Amino acid sequence: MEFFDQLGSILSDFSNPRKRVFVGYLFVTVLIALVWLVAVRRSSVKSAFKDVFDRRILFSRSALADYQIFLINRAFTLFISPLLVSQLAIATLLYYALHDVDFLQRGLFNDTPTGVIVALFTITIFIVDDCTRYLVHRWMHRWPLLWAIHKTHHSAETMTPITVYRTHPLEGILYSLRGAIAQGFTMAVFLFFFGNAVDLYTVLGVNVLSFVFHVTGSNLRHSHISIRYWPWLEHILMSPAQHQVHHSIAREHHDKNFGVAFAVWDWLFGSLHLSEPGRELTFGLPASEAHPSRLLDIYFRPFADMGRYVRRRAKTLCIPTFGARIKSDQDGDNTGYSKQSL
Amino acid sequence: MLKSNFKLTTTVVVASLLSSAAIADQAYGPFPVTVKGYEGDKTNSVSYSGQIARHVLHDSLKKAAGKGDGGNNAAEVEALMLAYFNGSEDDLTIIAPASKDGFPVKQSTVNEISKGKNISGKFYNGAMSAWPGNQSGVDVALQMIKMAAASNQGYDPVNGMDWGQLISKFTLGAMAYNQAVDNYLDEKLEADNKPNDQPYKDGAHYTGKEHSWDEAFGYFGAAAHSVSLSPEQNYAVSKQKDLAAADANGDGVIDLKTEFVFGPAYYAAGADKGGNKNTQYMTTIFNAFRDGRALIASANGEALTDDQRAELKNYAGIIESNWEKTLAEATFKYAGSVYEDIDKIKSGEDSGEALRNYAKHWGELKGFSMALQSGKNNLGATAIDMNWLIGFGPAMPDGLMVSEIDADGNFVRGREMTLDDYQVNMLKVQKLLIDTFGIESRANDATADLAALAEKLGEGASAEND
Repeated sequence: MEFFDQLGSILSDFSNPRKRVFVGYLFVTVLIALVWLVAVRRSSVKSAFKDVFDRRILFSRSALADYQIFLINRAFTLFISPLLVSQLAIATLLYYALHDVDFLQRGLFNDTPTGVIVALFTITIFIVDDCTRYLVHRWMHRWPLLWAIHKTHHSAETMTPITVYRTHPLEGILYSLRGAIAQGFTMAVFLFFFGNAVDLYTVLGVNVLSFVFHVTGSNLRHSHISIRYWPWLEHILMSPAQHQVHHSIAREHHDKNFGVAFAVWDWLFGSLHLSEPGRELTFGLPASEAHPSRLLDIYFRPFADMGRYVRRRAKTLCIPTFGARIKSDQDGDNTGYSKQSL
Repeated sequence: MLKSNFKLTTTVVVASLLSSAAIADQAYGPFPVTVKGYEGDKTNSVSYSGQIARHVLHDSLKKAAGKGDGGNNAAEVEALMLAYFNGSEDDLTIIAPASKDGFPVKQSTVNEISKGKNISGKFYNGAMSAWPGNQSGVDVALQMIKMAAASNQGYDPVNGMDWGQLISKFTLGAMAYNQAVDNYLDEKLEADNKPNDQPYKDGAHYTGKEHSWDEAFGYFGAAAHSVSLSPEQNYAVSKQKDLAAADANGDGVIDLKTEFVFGPAYYAAGADKGGNKNTQYMTTIFNAFRDGRALIASANGEALTDDQRAELKNYAGIIESNWEKTLAEATFKYAGSVYEDIDKIKSGEDSGEALRNYAKHWGELKGFSMALQSGKNNLGATAIDMNWLIGFGPAMPDGLMVSEIDADGNFVRGREMTLDDYQVNMLKVQKLLIDTFGIESRANDATADLAALAEKLGEGASAEND
């Protein structure tokens, strides 16, 4: 009995509409992929099925590692999540702080019609979430210490919807912090200015915009089905094919398309790359960076990489100082290291 | 022999199971007279009329606090209030709860309930650091009475004081709660203090333990049949709005001794009725009192064994912790009211009325916070934090609050506190009360919307990655 309880909690994401891998979304994802292959790519139904459920992809070494990482990370999340700061804690602190700012008037927009408040909150929290995901994702690629852990995700050589869980636990902590800050901030500000009418438009208990994002094929981002949009739309919304470009090993695709639902952030900050029709992409990283399926390597190499980076930085910071001291001694200035420490 | 023993045991077990099932909704009393050697004609050993008299003195004192005309009748009002506080040789009129249309009350003077009673002799007299001047509990009450008498209808608009509320809520703790948890449910449960194998006093028809326990129940202030009423009904009885629910014996008048709901029980029912509706303070406290009393009666006038006293102390612990929570719930509720009142003051509409409500709710907040500090437990750092956050007076619209009382007994408004900052303090008071007392009803929770929204958004702890 206890075993089934444990299993239930580990697999709970599949029955939770707040999660991308909710079975309903997965079902719609398969449907979209099949319709796209048959209607746009002119495949036969049979070959479309074969393509979607390609065993070489679903059971590749990389995918098998994804499944194992999913299980390990679930256990880790159950253990770690009570220790993480919640969006409520952040919202409460900020809510207190807002009271202390003299020129801010609580309930300034209380008279706004409820429907408008709810719509505004629903849209704002979705946009703030998406924007901060873009930023954190960008930092993950740009800052070597963060890249060391984000590599785990990019080491996938084949992609399935479960690849969304291919994440180093340290990165999971950073993402949950981001969520807590972004949501806590938005909640506190809205409740402070709009009062208790603030609410969320939901479908199946999830933000209606997240719901739309998921039922329009968010799972295809991590797949080999490269659905693309019109170029003008790929400036606004991130197509599955664009995210696959983000995972491409090709040099010209590096550090492109960090966005989640919206592509506008990439467009604004110069990291947008439209999908390229007919181009075959290779996913993954060179062996010198990460291994696609060896779990020990996946979980522990990031620590080694971070350690190496810190040591290297420490050296470059220390050497000029050391050199300067020698120089000052040579100059006959015997004030010694006290001057250096200033 | 063995067989008959078995039969006897079975009978006892079945009987006790049946009786415990039957007792679940039973009133507090009557319980039989068990005292050895009693030769009178009484058949019910339950007696707590002295405590009811004190509740009536308290309710009347609160009403009397509103009789001042701004100074001209100060001496007269103070004398009237002191008569209720210190007791009087004359028979005092019951100012509250008095008969009104649709709710006739049987007694109209205090002596009809019990003679020679006062509040001051049963009032918390330890240090009360929640009030300026490092005074004892009784001195604080006397000072409040003096200021109430000199005020206009119990209201001080400059300092934001509502004397009736302050005196009343403080007294709910300093008299009722303090006497029950720090006296009757504490040292009077020891073996050598008011033993059960002797009458409470010579000639009494109740034992030492029976009467001590009854007195604690009397201070709680529930009607003897409160357990069979809903929180809404108990509340309405106390507001003198539900004659049918109050009139347990159906004689058409309300006997204050057994059929009325007074302050502490009223606030227990109030917490159950409002907020999250997830508490049962009234039932929990009432049942512990009634079951404890049944346990004492079952000793049949013999001294209680150590096991019986341990069981009784367990009931006392339930009463004490739940009673403390009801005071914390009330403090929490009024911190929320004060928070909302400040919004109204800032909006500028009906400023006189908004300020009056603010002072009223602040008086309740402050009074209950002082009540919480009048019990058996020293609240330590919690008390220090709470007193600092609430202050000695409400923050007034000019950004000042009472900081001390000078040598002439006048308030000094020397602490700066904007209304905005004071709102934050109220949020912190609510958080402190949740963290310290684990209260759950949480009426007027000023950050409930945040929690509800967080629940709706869901926790972000997941390892999803793009």
